[in-house]
Amino acid sequence: MGKSIIDIKNLNKEFQLKQKNSGFFGGVASIFKPEYKHVKAVDDISFSVEEGELLAFIGPNGAGKSTTIKMLTGILFPTGGEVNVLGFDPAKERQKLAYHIGSVFGQKPQLWYHLPPMDTYNLFSRIYELDQDEYKKRLDFLVDAFEIKDLLKTPVRKLSLGQRMRCEIAASLLHKPKIIFLDEPTIGLDVIAKQHIREVIKYLNEKEKVTIFLTSHDAGDIETLAKRTIVINHGKIIFDDTTEKLKKDYIKTKIIELIVDEPIEKFEFAGGEVKEKTRFSLKVELDTAKNSIDKLLSYAVENFAIKDINIFDPEMEEIIADIYRDKKI
Amino acid sequence: MSEAKVLTIKSAFGYKFLKYFEIAKVNYYNSAAYLLNLLSRSATVILRIWIFAQLYKVTYAASGVSEIGGMTVAMIVWSLMMTQSFQSSTRPPISQLIDEEVKTGALAYSINRPYSYIFFHMAGFFGRSLPNLFINLSVGLLAALILVGPLDFSFYGIVFGMTLLFFGYILDFFINLIIGLLAFWVEDTSAFTWIYSKGQMIFGGIILPIALFPEYLQKIAEILPFSLMYYGAARIAVNFDFYLFQKFIFMQFVWIFVFGLSAIYLFNKGIKNVSINGG
Repeated sequence: MGKSIIDIKNLNKEFQLKQKNSGFFGGVASIFKPEYKHVKAVDDISFSVEEGELLAFIGPNGAGKSTTIKMLTGILFPTGGEVNVLGFDPAKERQKLAYHIGSVFGQKPQLWYHLPPMDTYNLFSRIYELDQDEYKKRLDFLVDAFEIKDLLKTPVRKLSLGQRMRCEIAASLLHKPKIIFLDEPTIGLDVIAKQHIREVIKYLNEKEKVTIFLTSHDAGDIETLAKRTIVINHGKIIFDDTTEKLKKDYIKTKIIELIVDEPIEKFEFAGGEVKEKTRFSLKVELDTAKNSIDKLLSYAVENFAIKDINIFDPEMEEIIADIYRDKKI
Repeated sequence: MSEAKVLTIKSAFGYKFLKYFEIAKVNYYNSAAYLLNLLSRSATVILRIWIFAQLYKVTYAASGVSEIGGMTVAMIVWSLMMTQSFQSSTRPPISQLIDEEVKTGALAYSINRPYSYIFFHMAGFFGRSLPNLFINLSVGLLAALILVGPLDFSFYGIVFGMTLLFFGYILDFFINLIIGLLAFWVEDTSAFTWIYSKGQMIFGGIILPIALFPEYLQKIAEILPFSLMYYGAARIAVNFDFYLFQKFIFMQFVWIFVFGLSAIYLFNKGIKNVSINGG
């Protein structure tokens, strides 16, 4: 068993949300008689992460994923419980911890928007007090690993989302963090860009031995990358086991969408259940334990005039519903 | 103390200093990225100086005097040009930037780095203001020269005026920082920013030099923080007075101390309270 570098015990975070009625008078009333709703974003969770682990921390919107990451990095103060990251208490030793961790919040840019990534990298080299020779070597390495040589001098605003994301992750790795927190790193990316980011994450974990704490909505990210997965919903952990087990027990289907030139009269395929049907499109849920995607595609190509095909993972909400059903929570 | 230890401390200090210098530098680059934008914003200074030059020329002529409160029309126009250039070079105000950081969730990055959050913003503030100040002053100087002609600046006036400007910037920074930090508690700080900017406009010598105020109001205005930011610097630059300089710098230190401590207190308190939007 490896050394544990993240330890969380009975962690809680409660937010007070101000409630406001609509309209002018509602706004005025809320000044004189404010009403608050208490929301438990994280509800008594405990777990540990070992050095070198690649852990997926998943759940639907508002499940408490980002709140947990923010408490682990010292941005948010817990309402209760204990957090220990690399021997530091993030709430009290945020700045000391910052030298050893990196974070990427997929929906928030950290690169300077009007400047080329190189300017941000130089800035970070000073902020993290890096030796300049070491920094140059590190940058050369990251530039090769992320294939961003041609992007270094282009203002960030002119980069595509996928290009920007690669530059964002590279920025978080300049100071050789021991742990990197990736919060939805593939959000909004196309299939190719997603694949590229996944390869980079895998490389970091396998070759550089960086511990990776990954949150994502995308079941594909988890299936490809993580050995262990924690599923969180309504602030509570509902699954903490191997990704293999999650896949075997709960991600048993794929959604295949067929766009056709001529209407489909009849669709019969073992393990495939038609979920949606219009005149020129069909959505099939395929049970991958009963049949394979390539067989379904062969069947479709042979029998219909296929114009386009899309393959999706099941929605996170469905996976969670399955877990609830199975565990009778 | 051993030589190695002295060297370590020196290099540790060097690293700390360099990080804030680099923060200022990146802000400088970012601010100077759109020169045309900067120039167009400065152009409004020309219009305002022209209006004030006409207004004060007429007022002085109607009063039949060449000096009011020790200030000639030329001194007033130069002084207003400076206060306006100094103040507008700090736009957008730091309070607005912190407010946006909280609203957009960008605070998750800015707060999570190995530096002092307050010094991070202070370095950024100076870095951003510098190119704005250079452009604003260049444009304003040209406008003042054309509209009222040159002024006989003294060497001491410029040196002591620049000193007051430096501390005036720090004072303005701390007050704006306090307003920005309120975003850790309230949903929107723009109303506070608006009130503060109006206070600056009225008591900060931005549209009306304090030397023209009735004496009792002048005394009040001169100890309020508003006049100590940019008016003090402009007043000393156009008409050097060592006694006044001492008074201004003393009051600047008092206010910097008060607002600086308040900002640190609010930050330490607010950081425990903050909830970052967007997940």
